[in-house]
Amino acid sequence: MPVILSADHVSKVFATGRGDPIVAIDDLSVDIEEGEFVCLLGASGCGKSTMLNMFAGFTQPTQGSVRLRGTPITSIEPRCGMVFQSYALFPWKTVRTNVEFGLKVRGMAKRERRERAQFFIDMVKLTGFEDHYPTELSGGMQQRVTLARLLATDPEVLLMDEPFAALDAMTRQVMQEELLRIHESSRKTTVFITHSIDEALILSSRIVVLSARPGRVKAILDNNLPSPRHVDVQLSPEYAELKKQIWDLVESEVRHHDDTQG
Amino acid sequence: MVTLGPVGETTPATAVTDQGHLRRRIAVPWMVLISLTSVVVVMTLWYVSTEFGWILPIFLPKPITVLQEAQRAFAGGLLLTDVWMSSQRVFLGFALAGVVAIPLGVAMAIWAPAKAILDPFVSLLRPLPSITWIPLTMLWLGIGESQKVAIVFMGSWIYILLYTYESPTRVDPLLIRAARNLGARDLDVMTEVILPGALPGIITGLKVTLAISWSCVLSAEMVAAQSGLGAMIWQAKDWGNLALVLVGMLCISITVLVADQAANLIERLLLPWERNRRH
Ligand SMILES: Nc1ncnc2c1ncn2[C@@H]1O[C@H](COP(=O)(O)OP(=O)(O)OP(=O)(O)O)[C@@H](O)[C@H]1O
Ligand SMILES: [Mg+2]
Repeated sequence: MPVILSADHVSKVFATGRGDPIVAIDDLSVDIEEGEFVCLLGASGCGKSTMLNMFAGFTQPTQGSVRLRGTPITSIEPRCGMVFQSYALFPWKTVRTNVEFGLKVRGMAKRERRERAQFFIDMVKLTGFEDHYPTELSGGMQQRVTLARLLATDPEVLLMDEPFAALDAMTRQVMQEELLRIHESSRKTTVFITHSIDEALILSSRIVVLSARPGRVKAILDNNLPSPRHVDVQLSPEYAELKKQIWDLVESEVRHHDDTQG
Repeated sequence: MVTLGPVGETTPATAVTDQGHLRRRIAVPWMVLISLTSVVVVMTLWYVSTEFGWILPIFLPKPITVLQEAQRAFAGGLLLTDVWMSSQRVFLGFALAGVVAIPLGVAMAIWAPAKAILDPFVSLLRPLPSITWIPLTMLWLGIGESQKVAIVFMGSWIYILLYTYESPTRVDPLLIRAARNLGARDLDVMTEVILPGALPGIITGLKVTLAISWSCVLSAEMVAAQSGLGAMIWQAKDWGNLALVLVGMLCISITVLVADQAANLIERLLLPWERNRRH
């Protein structure tokens, strides 16, 4: 599969008002292939969101480059669609008009965009809630609206920054299954941030483990667990082994981080 | 409470709101009762103190006198004319202020030079109470309707401007980022995100200003006018008719309350998404 998204020796330094600048990402390189489901895994503050924001074009690297199909990303890039942890739905728009937003700004005719929006609303199982406002929905439902709104614009890459972190365990599981189903059918390249090893194991085809700050690639692991990854897979020795392997990588990072901090 | 679809998706936050609603529902009759009691107590005090001559009628008329005066004023139709005249002036001055100040406020928020141009004048004009405009406006416009409208305008537009200018800056930057990520261009961000996001703030500003507009018209009418609620209570004072002064004051309260309720209604119609906001 061809590389669609790549980070090439990327560093990101934030100047702070007082004291030393913060190095959030240091010389990070990774190639993401078309159709992959990549999980970025790392301790809090290691620069995961920063990396994703660079893929979306919200910020630019201090050194190195991020590229979409070989072209550097220098401004906000709608082909890399972002699902925000805090949903970022427009509170004054209903479910329907939220989902229609990306189509409207592309100048799609009203009837056509309504039809297309309905397709994605049905897809995330929100049929019947078209005329509700986001404030009238639960967290899980709002996150599904965000997903539908993004999928309707057909981005080439899905960027997801801990999208399910705020959900309760049961809703999270439902959402994970739905996301996998969508990925299975659309084969859309997905970069997914999490700091849950289990979530990474259940969702990904590849796991990129980042070091503690500044973020570097600590290890890249292929995840060849059979799918669908139901409970029986989660109880298999392969799963446990992979989990242990990742845990060892992450643990050494957390401890190392504590040492340098303390 | 809105039904939230699939079971198991109701978040703890909802449960908390539910309890809050419950507590409020029980609490309301008690609070109403206490309010009623406090009104009755004050009315009784008024009645007793004037009836037994503890307070002389030239300082505070008896409730019954006020009631009779109110009846007379209503029957003559003069009171309603005054209410109508004042309302008209407020409405014209307020609407004019909105038409001028909202676009200026938006311009200030999104275009720095507009802010630079207007800032010095806003700083200088803001501390001036509207009555300080009475001499100039009388010189320019006489003492007719346009002068009253001008006072309301001068007393209102700066507040509308300041609220409007503040509102777009309160729009969540994440929403702007999300809009751009979904392919929105500058104009889309303006019309689809910044303006609707600023609308609640602008409307709050209009509501606050409406009450200010009312106090402007009343002071303008007290100084120089033949009609309107302000003129009416001023004249009643000159005639020594204290009961009529009280009727006028009550009438002002009620009119402003009604205007406020109308504004709330319009707000709910314009901002349907704010109705079910969870706190
Ligand atoms: N705009 C900014 N200005 C200054 N420092 C920043 C900025 N954004 C991020 N940082 C710093 O960069 C580091 C990485 O932040 P980032 O948000 O990418 O972490 P993260 O891996 O997403 O953490 P978490 O898992 O807690 O979300 C942090 O130390 C943070 O303080
Ligand atoms: Mg983060």
